[in-house]
Amino acid sequence: MRLLRHPAIHWAIAVVVGGLFVYASLDKIAKPADFARIVYHYRILGPLPSNWLAVTLPWVELLAGVLMISGVWRREASLVIAMLLVVFMGAVGWALHMGVDIENCGCFSVSGEGRSAGWKLLAGDAAMLVGALALLIARPMEPEAAPAAARTATGRV
Amino acid sequence: MDLRWWRVVLIAAVGSALGLSWNLLSGRGFALDRNVLIQEGDQIVEASEAKRRLDAGALFLDARPDAFYGMSHIPGALSLPEDDFDRAYARLEPTLRKNLDIVVYCSGFGCEASHIVARKLKERGIPAVVLHDGLPAWQEHGYPLREGPQP
Repeated sequence: MRLLRHPAIHWAIAVVVGGLFVYASLDKIAKPADFARIVYHYRILGPLPSNWLAVTLPWVELLAGVLMISGVWRREASLVIAMLLVVFMGAVGWALHMGVDIENCGCFSVSGEGRSAGWKLLAGDAAMLVGALALLIARPMEPEAAPAAARTATGRV
Repeated sequence: MDLRWWRVVLIAAVGSALGLSWNLLSGRGFALDRNVLIQEGDQIVEASEAKRRLDAGALFLDARPDAFYGMSHIPGALSLPEDDFDRAYARLEPTLRKNLDIVVYCSGFGCEASHIVARKLKERGIPAVVLHDGLPAWQEHGYPLREGPQP
């Protein structure tokens, strides 16, 4: 837990998870109608809610990702990203449960080629969720306390 | 520092506002009140109209993967799976060209296969309409279904 509170670890997790969210938002922002089509494929929401989700969700991803990386409102951005990941995992789990075949999950690309919605995708989302929760729960130490904590965490004295 | 809930709400609100503005102003957006699976030129019929056409002798095409056809399909329908279109079309082309009234369906909202098949047929000079909301709409009306492979 102390290692998770090290500022460098915090920053590394934020760059990886936040960076993935920023990257994931770009193609969806560029082609909102194509992303809406993918949201339809999940068959959870009707056409109108799917359209609104397809238009707004990528920008929330982008904003939360940028805030997470920059360190501005990092805990709140982590909570937003954690909530989004729970929603994504719920959608993929529902599709798997209902036997809906999603060829492209719409995670990073909205073109024909993309990751299918399956167990690997759930595992990836779960890993990101752990990272987002770590940023949310483990508060970073003050910078002057960090070197000592790092030595303790690695067994050095 | 304590978690500030208003910031969480603000991130969601500002992100949503940016998204709606982008959709309206960027030139990349789309009309939020329409079904994006339905494109210009697509012809859609409701289940009741499709039933009337079935009774009048229309040809029905099932655009779902072949395995789904075997589980349940509209009586008299032929399987023309979107994921195996070229092979199935080559086999069915003479029949398709003889029919002036063709209705394509798949598994309802979120299923794009019927639209894609209807467009491909149209490109080949064969007009076809799509059953709105597909097989679930047909079932909701209590219209008959059959099981088993294509004869």
